[in-house]
Amino acid sequence: MANVLDLRRRIRSVKNTRQITKAMKMVSAAKLRRAQQRAMVARPYAQMLASVLDSLVRRVDIYDPETGELRHPLLVARPEKRVAVVVVTGDKGFAGAFNINVLKAAQHFIDDSEGRHLEIDIEAVGRKGKDFLRRRFVAARFVDQEQPEHVQQARQRQARVEITGDHPGILEKLSFDRIGRFGQELVNRYIAQDVDAVYVVFNEFQSVISQRIVVERILPIMEVGKHDIASATEMEAEERERMAEAATSAQVSLQATDTREADEEARKFGTAQVDYIYEQQPRKLLAELLPRYVSTQLYHAMLESVAAEHAARMTAMDAATNNASDMIDSLTLIMNRVRQAAITKEIIEIVSGAAAI
Amino acid sequence: MAEATQNELRVRLVTPDQVFIDGTADAVDLPSRSGYIEALYGHAPLLAELGAGEVRLHGGSVGEQRYFVAWGFVEVLPDRVTILAESVVKPGAINPAEAQQELERGQKMWSEAGEESRRYSEANRVIREAEERIASAASSGK
Repeated sequence: MANVLDLRRRIRSVKNTRQITKAMKMVSAAKLRRAQQRAMVARPYAQMLASVLDSLVRRVDIYDPETGELRHPLLVARPEKRVAVVVVTGDKGFAGAFNINVLKAAQHFIDDSEGRHLEIDIEAVGRKGKDFLRRRFVAARFVDQEQPEHVQQARQRQARVEITGDHPGILEKLSFDRIGRFGQELVNRYIAQDVDAVYVVFNEFQSVISQRIVVERILPIMEVGKHDIASATEMEAEERERMAEAATSAQVSLQATDTREADEEARKFGTAQVDYIYEQQPRKLLAELLPRYVSTQLYHAMLESVAAEHAARMTAMDAATNNASDMIDSLTLIMNRVRQAAITKEIIEIVSGAAAI
Repeated sequence: MAEATQNELRVRLVTPDQVFIDGTADAVDLPSRSGYIEALYGHAPLLAELGAGEVRLHGGSVGEQRYFVAWGFVEVLPDRVTILAESVVKPGAINPAEAQQELERGQKMWSEAGEESRRYSEANRVIREAEERIASAASSGK
């Protein structure tokens, strides 16, 4: 049986671990608050863009009167033969099942598509996802690396599912600039008919207790302002409970911040019941705005994913802290028992020794 | 109380990251694609795309202010101006050396563009943005 000294050492070490997990939890909570704030202040722009686009789409005759075709390639759906899938995970671990859940959804999507003979190009965002997917799928090989614009034509496909790119560091400091470029790249590929649809797999985050893993189609644009969700996995009740518990103890608000007023305000943008003068041709405006709309959606997916990651880490660390406390309690109990046993044994020895005389 | 007096425009400058400005002004200069527009109170409703250039606010609660935008979109209503801009920089914060480099990159793109009109227009866009940036930085000292 372990002696008292060993147990005491063990308890001390668990206490140290508890300190660390507690600190990590508080850090994650602070980061989560910041991420939530950032996602909220980013809303007006996206909302305004969506509402002006929506009104433009309605006003501008997007159908060509002669041919009856849609006027903008991003609004045209094609039969899907090859699709791009953007998988958004985190850069770091220690976040419970966060990364695994997203990857599971991505894997599910890929497996499902096998029957439809769909070719898939994966764009991995986040280091964890990249590492995981790299192990399973081959990287696309390009013949000509010189001219990035023509890369797609000069490509030799080796497998049904290939990784066409990863984006290291994009999540560390989310900048619209960089994500805008990524979005533009996807738009270009769609227009060049290199891919027939673009999906994003990510963890949607409305509030701590309202999250789900979604597969969202961002291209082609079917209806402006609506999320085109291909599949969604809700959070389990047990998981939600744990999230809520961790959030309460870290003083993070459970409710989504009320943005109705701001949203309402933003929705008015470009939709007043007046005859606007269009400085440029509406069709040209539409052509400039649509790709940006795609980028804002991508930006939002990443903002939400980052918030969800912090929430998951906070929860995981809260659970770890609780486990450490439980462990300390049971170890302390064992230690006291062992000590008491030793004392009892000594007393018995003394007493029986005295009785023998 | 900030009285919403007559003849003042409510101006908002919104970027993907935040609401940059929310205030009032007497007049706003906008760098539309086809040249600068000045919007005063009572302007006819207008939707326009903004190119690279400066948004300038005059008078009102925010005072004289200038911001450099690279691309934007504006809605003008008689009593308000709302600007969506992808990136907003104060002219003083522009690094002229960086802008100069950008300009050279654009010129290189232009000379290498060959036959493709798409690459020409992309090069022209880069050049124009860099030139506007340099001009904006140069005038900020005064």
